[in-house]
Amino acid sequence: MIQIQNLTKSYSGFRALDALTLDIPDGELFCFLGPNGAGKTTTIKILTGLVHPDYGTARIQGLDTNQHATDVKKVIGYIPDTPFLYERLTTSEFFLFYGELYDIPPQTIIHERDRLFATFGLDNHRSALVRNLSHGLRQRLIYATTFLHNPPVLLIDEPFVGLDPYTIKLIKSMLREHTNQGGTILLTTHILAIAEDIADRIGIIHKGKLIAEGTLPELQTEHQGASLEDIFLQVTYAKTEETSHVRP
Amino acid sequence: MSAPSALWQKTRFQMINALRTMFRQSRLKQTFILSFILIFEAFLLLLFRDGFRFLSAFGGAGVIITGRIFALFFLGLAWMLFLSSLVSSYATFFGSPEIPFLLVRPFSMQQIVLYSFVHATTLSSWAFFFIILPFVGAYTWHQSLHPLFVLWTIVFSIPFLFLCSSLGALFVLCTVRWLPKPGKVRICLLGLLILGVFLAATIRSDSQAEDNMQFNLATMIPGMRLAVHPLSPGYWMAEGIMTLTRGHMRRGLHHLALLLSSAAVATILVEQIGGKVFYPAWQRTRATGPTRRKPVMLPHLLNIRTLLPADLAAIMSKDIRTFFRDPAQWTQALIFFGLLGLYFSNLRIFHYDRLPEQWRSAMTFLNVFAVSAVLSSMGARFIYPQLSYEGHSFWMLGLSPTSMTRIVLAKFLLALITTGIVSISLIFMATRSLGLEPQIQQAALAVIAAVCLAVCGLSTGLGAIFMNLDEHNPAAIVSTFGGTLNIVLCLCFMLAAILPFGIIFHVRQIDLHTHFMRFLPLAYGWLALITMSATLLPLWLGYHSLLKRDF
Repeated sequence: MIQIQNLTKSYSGFRALDALTLDIPDGELFCFLGPNGAGKTTTIKILTGLVHPDYGTARIQGLDTNQHATDVKKVIGYIPDTPFLYERLTTSEFFLFYGELYDIPPQTIIHERDRLFATFGLDNHRSALVRNLSHGLRQRLIYATTFLHNPPVLLIDEPFVGLDPYTIKLIKSMLREHTNQGGTILLTTHILAIAEDIADRIGIIHKGKLIAEGTLPELQTEHQGASLEDIFLQVTYAKTEETSHVRP
Repeated sequence: MSAPSALWQKTRFQMINALRTMFRQSRLKQTFILSFILIFEAFLLLLFRDGFRFLSAFGGAGVIITGRIFALFFLGLAWMLFLSSLVSSYATFFGSPEIPFLLVRPFSMQQIVLYSFVHATTLSSWAFFFIILPFVGAYTWHQSLHPLFVLWTIVFSIPFLFLCSSLGALFVLCTVRWLPKPGKVRICLLGLLILGVFLAATIRSDSQAEDNMQFNLATMIPGMRLAVHPLSPGYWMAEGIMTLTRGHMRRGLHHLALLLSSAAVATILVEQIGGKVFYPAWQRTRATGPTRRKPVMLPHLLNIRTLLPADLAAIMSKDIRTFFRDPAQWTQALIFFGLLGLYFSNLRIFHYDRLPEQWRSAMTFLNVFAVSAVLSSMGARFIYPQLSYEGHSFWMLGLSPTSMTRIVLAKFLLALITTGIVSISLIFMATRSLGLEPQIQQAALAVIAAVCLAVCGLSTGLGAIFMNLDEHNPAAIVSTFGGTLNIVLCLCFMLAAILPFGIIFHVRQIDLHTHFMRFLPLAYGWLALITMSATLLPLWLGYHSLLKRDF
């Protein structure tokens, strides 16, 4: 469960988030859409503790992200668009390291490594150094390690960058499985088809404000049955027009 | 296993894998690097031993100087470690991509700070052992001391390293956390300067009561007063090692305990203060928005475009901006050349201009040697990785309507202009301060200009030949075979360029009736020949290597 109240963040006078309020209940996959620089990544970074908000609060599983930072980190899994990995570790060592960070018993780590490496097609790369992996394999590795400690809340920034169709399908089904088991997912993307495909609820953020929110049918009803693409363009263009007279 | 233990285990895995990767490299490369290290260490060992012998030749004063030189040596190393720690702490705490990874994992801030501090200390101290071992070895050899002397030095070194590095880390953490606005920076710097002068004056007045010989020694050797001050960690280290080697266990262990307790307190301070200030400081470094970014020398850079063709100007101004926006880079350059500038500007204060002509001439070529050595390390650290720094964005240069020749030329010219201005100015200042005759001044300036050309040519050319677009870490780019070869060749060139002039002027000063000066035109000819070879050949090879590459 994620609860965001009046979250505000400015960078040198630029307002990245403007009193953002949002609730994502357990078992929901919430998809954040928005143009570049809208505030999607800032929101996720505040939830992970990487960025400190100017005002407002964020709670994950009832824990304030500022006051209980270490406890919050134990219940989240964060997948950035370009994740940092230790280049001089093998995939197997990286997985072991990750499990130990979360105090998972060694037997469980080994069992989960076998299972997740088989699932993500990493079996043949166990002894390969991370530095020698392709972008797609790195992404698979970060997904495999994130699922290791089975975090109830997943925060994913651009989930399918550089992945092949098989892995995309696999991850979609794993995300769906995660929410079916009561997990919460906040996912940001620019690809509208992904949102249409997997989101339980969609939020459109623009200039730090949540300007549209609801399930896909709810949004379509509000906008006379338009496609998500049209809805996105309509609402972001209307907001741009309000502030400047430049077409997007 | 707890999170911190996992982190240490990860570091162990990384080290094992790095060693495995190293051993998998070609035997030739391994032999070359190992031989280079051994030769370099042996060379330093002999150099230091000759230095000690030279001092012994002075009799009583020499014996005292030799005894005190240890304290002076460790004072110098303490400064080096402190300055090096400033750079590595900033890069580790605020520039490392590992920090965001650690921040979202279940670590406390203290754990992250302590881990990063140890990492930064390791980074800043590798050169320490590289220098200290031949120095201590030479001293042991010269004084016919027990081999335990070397062992005690290593035991004392570890708390010494942590003490110096913690001061640098604390300075960086607090500065980033509370660095005032630019207007106030000057006030703070002035405050620090006043404090420094005050401390120096205090130490000076404290040591007035000391015996005459030491007082005279302190006037002869800059920094001696501070080095033998009882509150200086360098003194604890020197005195502790000396007394333990002489068998005075109690006094030696007292100094070791002093160092250990001070290092422990300093490390705890880093952990505790760092735990509190690191997160807000890290936020400050990230608190720059997409809207405003101060232009770096923009008005001046725009002028470059009127002087140079557009493509060269574009590449050069991009590189200048990138350099000045990365504090880890420009601070290193500032420290290297700043210290030399400080030293040269103080030559008259040390009364070196009153020394006999023979000494001043030798000192001039030693100064050229010092600036050339710094230039070589600058070449290895900044010029050699220039092309590799382009990384995966190299395709942009590759696709642009410019040729590979011009890309290499832009890198070479930028390196030459920047290093040339600084190093020629430094040598000009040094020769003027020493009041030398024009012939020596001209030779010194010609040599440094030649070294500049060669270092830039070699570093740019070899950087193109051994370009590695997949590596983002500058230290890793530099520590490859190409980087090592580059620094070896630069050092060889430096010796080949300086020695002929140094010998000619030295012999002339010893014997004024010699006809050795007739070799001067030959030396100039030799200099022109090796400079052209060391500049043009690597650039040409580098250009052809780029043409053959797939990007």
